[in-house]
Amino acid sequence: MDERVLIARVQAGDASAERELYDAHVDRVYRLVYRLAGDADQAQDYAQEAFIRAFERLGDFRGEAALGTWICAIAVSVALNGLRKIKRLRAREVDIDGAIGLGSTRREAEPDLKTRLADAIEGLPDGYRAVFVMHDVEGYTHEEIGQVLGVQPGTSKAQLSRARAKLRRTLADFAKG
Amino acid sequence: MIDDDDPLEPELREAARAYHEPPGEPPRDRMWQAIAGRRAADRLRRERGSRRWLVAWAAGIAAVLAIGVGIGRLTVRPPAPSEPTQAAPVAGAPRREDLTAYRVAAAEHLGQAEVFLTLFRASVHRDAQERLASSTARHLLATNRLLLDSPASGDPRLRLLLQDLELVLAQIAQLNPARGDEDLQLIREGLDDGVLVRLRAAVPAGTVVTPRQGAL
Repeated sequence: MDERVLIARVQAGDASAERELYDAHVDRVYRLVYRLAGDADQAQDYAQEAFIRAFERLGDFRGEAALGTWICAIAVSVALNGLRKIKRLRAREVDIDGAIGLGSTRREAEPDLKTRLADAIEGLPDGYRAVFVMHDVEGYTHEEIGQVLGVQPGTSKAQLSRARAKLRRTLADFAKG
Repeated sequence: MIDDDDPLEPELREAARAYHEPPGEPPRDRMWQAIAGRRAADRLRRERGSRRWLVAWAAGIAAVLAIGVGIGRLTVRPPAPSEPTQAAPVAGAPRREDLTAYRVAAAEHLGQAEVFLTLFRASVHRDAQERLASSTARHLLATNRLLLDSPASGDPRLRLLLQDLELVLAQIAQLNPARGDEDLQLIREGLDDGVLVRLRAAVPAGTVVTPRQGAL
């Protein structure tokens, strides 16, 4: 069905059209927020919030990007904001644990490449991490990333390049070993 | 699909694909239930909010009318005792001049409402227009209420039309551009249900719509 027709039906209050729109985009949205969050409950929360906001703001959709890209933009924004809050909360918890002598989390065994890489990706700044995940993990183009994150494709390329360089530096000793 | 001139090394690329890999299918139905529940709750909250707003509006208008009636009673002089009392009208029944003034005022009000609603219907898609419309609708709403409350409003058909008009004007007066097309759709339905057609039928051809002062 034509996307514009579907949007018009949603705006007219057609509940079945809302479900159709959701079914058409939920897999992509969920997959993306899961990649960013790494947790099923958080991914569900972010995906749900993204669709609720998308339905509320559908009148603002101007068709400059594909509808799926527009919804992904909302989802990434919701996820990154949510993850920032969690990061701040965890930082406070770690401070408290440190103060009372808890929190010995040092790994005993040498981690494998996947684990080291995952840790290194976690350590990237939010913007770099989003670009890296979308491009190198999920296969988005720089044009799509630009539309989702509201940046120029050139900025996306530059951020990806810096993210990769940072990951290579972090994993350099592993590569040598 | 990927446009790249500095690709990751193959083993890193392979490891990256495993980063936060979703385990199986997304819980589509469970998420949908949560979304539909939240949407329904939000809708209900908005409806309750707009009803509260309408009640507040009605209370405000009632207060203004009460003050107006009070001022009117204080400023109107009682008839001199020497005037003949034989021709005094029956208590509560409007005099012929009052009825004529009422009909003129009502016709002019309906004419203004017709012009306003016609313009509104044709230009609802601009935010600034909606703000202007809300302000005009509030003025018309106040006059509409005065006409409904007037002792001269004896014509049941006219009263019914004024009541339906009041509903449409109240909806426009509280129109919120942030809510998008939902409110506008309700108003359009109200207009399409016949308010505009009945208004046109009620306004005599050739009625001059001009600003009015103290006709009531």
